[in-house]
Amino acid sequence: MTRSISITRRLIVTVLVLELLSAIALIGAITVRERHVQLKAFDASLLATAESLMGAVQDAEDEGDTVMLDMRGVQVAKNAIYRVEDERGRVLGSMGDAPSWERPSSPSPLFRNVDVRGRAYRFVVLARLRIVDPGKSNGGVGHSITIVYGTPLSHMWHEVLEATRFFAIATAILLGLTAAVMAWWVRKGLSPVYELAREAERVSSSDWHFNTPLKAKETVELRPLADALEATLARLQRSFEQQRQFTSDAAHELKTDVAIVKSSLQLLSMRKRSVEEYSQGLALSLDDFTRLEMAVQKMLTLARLETPIQRDGSGGTVLYCSLRDVIEDAVNQTNRMAELKAIVVNVEVTADARVPIDSHDALLLCSNILLNALRHSPPESTVRITLTTDEDTARLTVQDQGEGISEEDRERVFEPFYRADPSRSRKSGSSGLGLSICKAICERAGGSIQIANGPEGGALVIVNLPAELILSRSTFSASLKEQ
Amino acid sequence: MRVLLIEDEQRLADNIVAALREAGLAVDHGIDGEEGSHLAEQGIYDVVVLDLMLPGKSGQHVLRDLRRKKLHTPVLILTAQEGKESVINLLNAGADDYLSKPFDLGELLARIKALIRRAKGVSTPVIAVSDLELDTVRQTVRRHGQFLDLSPTEYRILEYLIHRPRAVVSQQELLEHLYDFDWEHHSNVIEAHISNLRRKLNRAGTEPLIETLRHRGYRLREDGAAAL
Repeated sequence: MTRSISITRRLIVTVLVLELLSAIALIGAITVRERHVQLKAFDASLLATAESLMGAVQDAEDEGDTVMLDMRGVQVAKNAIYRVEDERGRVLGSMGDAPSWERPSSPSPLFRNVDVRGRAYRFVVLARLRIVDPGKSNGGVGHSITIVYGTPLSHMWHEVLEATRFFAIATAILLGLTAAVMAWWVRKGLSPVYELAREAERVSSSDWHFNTPLKAKETVELRPLADALEATLARLQRSFEQQRQFTSDAAHELKTDVAIVKSSLQLLSMRKRSVEEYSQGLALSLDDFTRLEMAVQKMLTLARLETPIQRDGSGGTVLYCSLRDVIEDAVNQTNRMAELKAIVVNVEVTADARVPIDSHDALLLCSNILLNALRHSPPESTVRITLTTDEDTARLTVQDQGEGISEEDRERVFEPFYRADPSRSRKSGSSGLGLSICKAICERAGGSIQIANGPEGGALVIVNLPAELILSRSTFSASLKEQ
Repeated sequence: MRVLLIEDEQRLADNIVAALREAGLAVDHGIDGEEGSHLAEQGIYDVVVLDLMLPGKSGQHVLRDLRRKKLHTPVLILTAQEGKESVINLLNAGADDYLSKPFDLGELLARIKALIRRAKGVSTPVIAVSDLELDTVRQTVRRHGQFLDLSPTEYRILEYLIHRPRAVVSQQELLEHLYDFDWEHHSNVIEAHISNLRRKLNRAGTEPLIETLRHRGYRLREDGAAAL
């Protein structure tokens, strides 16, 4: 199964997770601070009530110096618990079960958290000296009053929770909004990608036109992709068109050859003929058929040579051959044609070289070049073949004394089925594939082939091949003169 | 009838020329576009068979130039190229028929004959003028139901005349349309053939079918004679 990864989703999720994390941290901080603030306010209110309780301690207006709690004007919170004692431990007033603590020695209030009947309470313990009737002559009587006052903490927690909830809801709404805006924004931001994809999808083998959308061109991140697409498509189109051209030319070539064979046989069967006529006709038909066969063979050879070598081991080992031997063979093979035109073939080989081509293909290369030179040579002229070697390259040149080659044809002669001189066309016996095959052989071996005009006119074919120098046998030089 | 074949592939041209000659046609061969175009523009051919991929001058150009010169010779295109579009373009450019390689030699012959017929205003392979009947497929001639034994040249002269009834055909025209350049010919040859032909066509009690108009030529009579 293939995993599908969405950049949009990833972006949105990343941003939302970051937002959520910061929101949680923020809410945490807010909660801590809120609790602190609320606790302070709580304590202040506890203390204020405790103080007012203190103020409610009045002279009992009796014989002794007893005091009493006058609760008038004192507001006590709901569920509050309190106890007011004097120095003798007498309870002046109370509500609920206030826990008792040791009387604190300092006058500053003490705060304590205690559970009372399962509820969390916070108490303040206030111990003060209360002067009752300070207006009296004796300056009043001091009473040490202890006040324990507490209210449930739940109220404060409620406040803290409320505040937290408010922030949580606000954050959630913000997150939702951000997600929606982000989704829209990211999608919009990615629209050049979709445009590019749509444009690329439109391309087909019949319509190679690829127009990089302007937006994709303007997007820095997309530019390399768009450029790569454009370049790849252009390359593909070129090779596709070459293939198409080759197929169409090959079809044309084959159809013509088939038409010849067919017409030869049909002509023969148009009426009854003599045995002599039949045997003559059959011989001609066989020639025609051989031509068709050779054309097919050359096309197949070219197709085989143009298939890239498998470098990953399975393609087998690269075969080597001696270029000198091959040149000798090629000269022998083309002997008859040279003889017919009374052309002298001069071979100057100063050293031998091993080239990474199997001997069959190498012979094809050399004989094709040589045949081409012979074909374009005037009668009784000379064709000169040289082989020179460098450290790691072998250089084969074939020079004829023909009419040379025009600048325009220099590249095109290597195109399949291209015939430099149209008036020669098929009559010269060339298939139009010879030099294409040569080029394929050279390029397959990592070498190159060029055609130019020699210093004294005539075409000069130069082949460069990667080679290993063979240091053996004495220098070989031969001149074959045929009459 | 005289055919011009413009085809650069020598072996194919040899075969077509041989087949057409065996079918009783005079054939000239142009080996490339230039030569073919030059020959075609002489206006002496009854049909032109044109290959498209030609050195020198492409088949399309040969056709275009022929039509520009206001020559209405029927043109049959031979091509190994693919595609309906080129067929349409060629027909629109003035071609009359089309055959793609590899073709059937018999079909080529039939199409050439049909083109010749059509160009001369005849629609069937059997042409009748009064009581004379000429079958262009079997190459037989009957007069009044009787088969006549004609030599190939006599047949060809009669075939040409019967395609143009009542028209005056000069010796020059006959020479141009019955012989190709490979033939040794003289005008008195025609005269001899005509007189033989007239003798063979002759039926007692009727006027001769072929009239001789002094210094002008020959004419095949369509009416009259047979009615007597």
